[in-house]
Amino acid sequence: MAGITLQQRRRRFGVGALLPAVVIILAILAYPMAASLWLSLHHVELAGGAVAESFIGLANYAALLDDDSFRLAVSNSAYFSVCEVALVVGLGLGVALLLNHPLGRSGFFRVLLIIPWAIAPVANAVLWKWILNSNYGILNAILTELGLIDNYVTWLGTPGRALNMLLLVDVWKSIPFIALLLLAGLQKIPAMLYRAAWLDGANAWQQFRFITLPSLRTTLAIAIILQTLWSFKLFDLVYVLTRGGPADGTVLLNYLAYRQTFNFLHIGSGAAVANVVFFISLILAIAYIRMLRPGGRKVPA
Amino acid sequence: MAKVELAAVYKRFGTLEICSNINLVVADKEFVTLLGSSGCGKTTILNMIAGLEDVSAGEIRMEGRVVNNLTPFERDVAMVFQNYALYPHMTVAENIGFTLRLRRISRAEIEKRVGTIAGLLELTPLLGRLPSQLSGGQQQRVAIGRAMVREPKTFLFDEPFSNLDAALRVRMRSEIKLLHQRLGVTSIFVTHDQEEALSISDRVAVVNEGRVEQVGTPEEIYVRPVSRYVARFIGSPQIDLLDGAIVEESGGTGFRVGHVLFALPQPLVHALRTQGALEMGVRPENVLIADQGTAANVRVVNPVGPASFVTLAWEGGLITARVPGMSRLKAGEAVQFNVDPQHLMFFDKASGRRIEVPAGL
Amino acid sequence: MQGKPSKLGRLSIQLGLGIFGFWTLAPIAWLVVSSLMQQQALTATPPDFSPSAFTFQNYVEVMNSAAALGRGLANSLIVAVSTTAVALAVGAPAAYALARFQLPGSGPILLMILATQMFPGIVVAIPMFIVMSHLGLIDSRLGLVIVYLSFNLPIVIWILHGFFLAIPVGLERAAAVDGATTLQIFRLIVLPISWPPIFATAIFAFIESWNEFFFALILTRQNAQTVPLVISQFAGQYQTVFGQMMAAATMAVTPVVVIAIIFRQSIMKGFTEGMIKS
Repeated sequence: MAGITLQQRRRRFGVGALLPAVVIILAILAYPMAASLWLSLHHVELAGGAVAESFIGLANYAALLDDDSFRLAVSNSAYFSVCEVALVVGLGLGVALLLNHPLGRSGFFRVLLIIPWAIAPVANAVLWKWILNSNYGILNAILTELGLIDNYVTWLGTPGRALNMLLLVDVWKSIPFIALLLLAGLQKIPAMLYRAAWLDGANAWQQFRFITLPSLRTTLAIAIILQTLWSFKLFDLVYVLTRGGPADGTVLLNYLAYRQTFNFLHIGSGAAVANVVFFISLILAIAYIRMLRPGGRKVPA
Repeated sequence: MAKVELAAVYKRFGTLEICSNINLVVADKEFVTLLGSSGCGKTTILNMIAGLEDVSAGEIRMEGRVVNNLTPFERDVAMVFQNYALYPHMTVAENIGFTLRLRRISRAEIEKRVGTIAGLLELTPLLGRLPSQLSGGQQQRVAIGRAMVREPKTFLFDEPFSNLDAALRVRMRSEIKLLHQRLGVTSIFVTHDQEEALSISDRVAVVNEGRVEQVGTPEEIYVRPVSRYVARFIGSPQIDLLDGAIVEESGGTGFRVGHVLFALPQPLVHALRTQGALEMGVRPENVLIADQGTAANVRVVNPVGPASFVTLAWEGGLITARVPGMSRLKAGEAVQFNVDPQHLMFFDKASGRRIEVPAGL
Repeated sequence: MQGKPSKLGRLSIQLGLGIFGFWTLAPIAWLVVSSLMQQQALTATPPDFSPSAFTFQNYVEVMNSAAALGRGLANSLIVAVSTTAVALAVGAPAAYALARFQLPGSGPILLMILATQMFPGIVVAIPMFIVMSHLGLIDSRLGLVIVYLSFNLPIVIWILHGFFLAIPVGLERAAAVDGATTLQIFRLIVLPISWPPIFATAIFAFIESWNEFFFALILTRQNAQTVPLVISQFAGQYQTVFGQMMAAATMAVTPVVVIAIIFRQSIMKGFTEGMIKS
């Protein structure tokens, strides 16, 4: 029989349309990912411009367990991620609810949301470095004027405080996107539901508790997972604001991997740290993908 | 013009069989409707005829030529879609003329042909508008115009009226029928609305679970449905099915439901008595409220204008009677009813097939 | 919510909005204001806000003292535009293919695409650095474009895929019956009606590329340095010249912020909704 059917034609076109993208993505990403795994299983020595590798199995990973800076980075990262997700999603939900309220629907607030999101992370870091400057920073000036502190604080001077400042800055930067995400979720809830609940005598809190929260469950879960993933990706801020200091107090896993590799040239060990981050991200990414599956989502269409 | 044949056509997705052994012949210039509930596979059949979906097995022939491997364009079919599927970024004129433009017909010629179609469908003042600026009925006419401008050999309609309001839907039935009478193009129409199917078709094919249950003229499928499924699907309100048995005893012969005996003519009883368990089907117009008969209580009265449908509660459950005009019966009123033995249907309880009884009984 | 808002309720919402407005706007305002102030005014305790403290001098000096900033802006523009163009040209057809043709392997490909968005750059940084050295693409704009494609192409595909899925299939079927080839359907029907999401995606990819720092840090030295890198180095070198630092930062973020504000509607619709629907 002559000719090919429409479906066959479309499929051929589809393969042709898809192939370049798949090839590009594989070419750019697949090799580096595999190579990164391979490197993490090797002892890599850079000697006079040449690279010498010897296979050492999981020794790089084993060494991490005894490495104090790795342990510190794990605990820093854990603290940072947990606090950041709680703060960003919690405050982001608050902002989304405010902006979904008739009083908050003005375009002005939408503009406000988009600015911190669009600002380059590096510029943001530079700005906050200036705000937090211990001698001339505006934060110290304001808090002193208000009588809240007696002496200027070195905000980035001690490990714990520096980590919390890092947290503050990244929370500021991250809230807008999560708020936009949750706002999109809120706007998908049919207004009819609220009308019905109101007629049933539900007050504002009950409407939130029994309509908003359940309808928003999947969107919230997605927000939590994405924010966790992004908190693991954080790099620019650490690099500009603290370079991991003081006393490694702001070394997060991602930054540790960078420092091991590009500052200390411990390439195998750096790759091992990078792969730890990779596997944590992978698990979260799978969780995110599952949330998006039609069976797993409960966002009203 | 075009005769369309489907010979043992199957459609499968993996192990899932969407359409099984579809055999259908649509004669040249005929108007045939595929009727079925949603998800029965009727749209898939239409898409296979159109060439939008591949056939898993079997043959589709047009004018005697196998078209399985031809594109919709090569099959020379035109189609009107359920949601009109008008191109939202094109004006009415561009929508209608799109197919001509793809065939590199000169601009002047396109304008002329679009103009003719627009005049025919009363779309001329709307030619410059976008679909979003049209009412549902206008969009519908544009969709038909887009199909007509091709002067195709076959028209395919996929539930074209389902988005229109009730009044417009009824009017469009006559318009489509008129159009078909005038153009005489082979047409295949898909709908889930049995009334629509009966009112516009030369023949109706009732589709159920991917199979063609019955093909026949509207009269055939209404009066002589092959199965319980077809009988229940056609007619509104639905046919009532009474569960009982043929009895021949001193008290009388007929069909017994509980304590109630519906007397039947002797030859009919003879014809049916060798059958197994039976169901008796009675359409509302064959239930007669009378001075004598089976005792019942009026449950609900639904007047629809020229007639009223009265739901009666009796020993065997509920049964619906059609009475002419606006009924004065009140809910709770005691009445009696009979069934017209001339128009009863009997179904084999196990298989659901209708038992053909000799004519004249 | 539904119900009669009490006076207290209204007040608390207005208060909340006020706090949110201040919290978001204050740092940005300080960025702009301090970029317009003289060094002495900024280092006074408390800062001197008298009219005489304000000046455009910081901008002038930044432009004069840091030729790198001009080059950085140019590099950023070239890299971001090229990345966006290629990502759209390759990504839009791929997204359409994934949305429409039940190709074998579509599922895994989509998962792969989604997964690539999730990983920190450090995972692939080392091998990428080695490959780029071998190819001689260190400190080149081409090298950056290639690397940026690796995360922008998947984002483009993912977002557009969601949009193409939402186009009624009937439109394409109608076009097929009208005699359009698959390419014509894509070109004459699908693309024209999808330009708003395509545009939103383009803006998003542009902003991501403009703001990227990590790979720029690893893969560029001087010639191909983009704005974020210039800013970070500037902040390291002149970290006590606060007004100039802020002037440089303001110049770096302004193009992107302006674009984002102008096109906020389509970005919000396009991106946030794309992230929560499958």
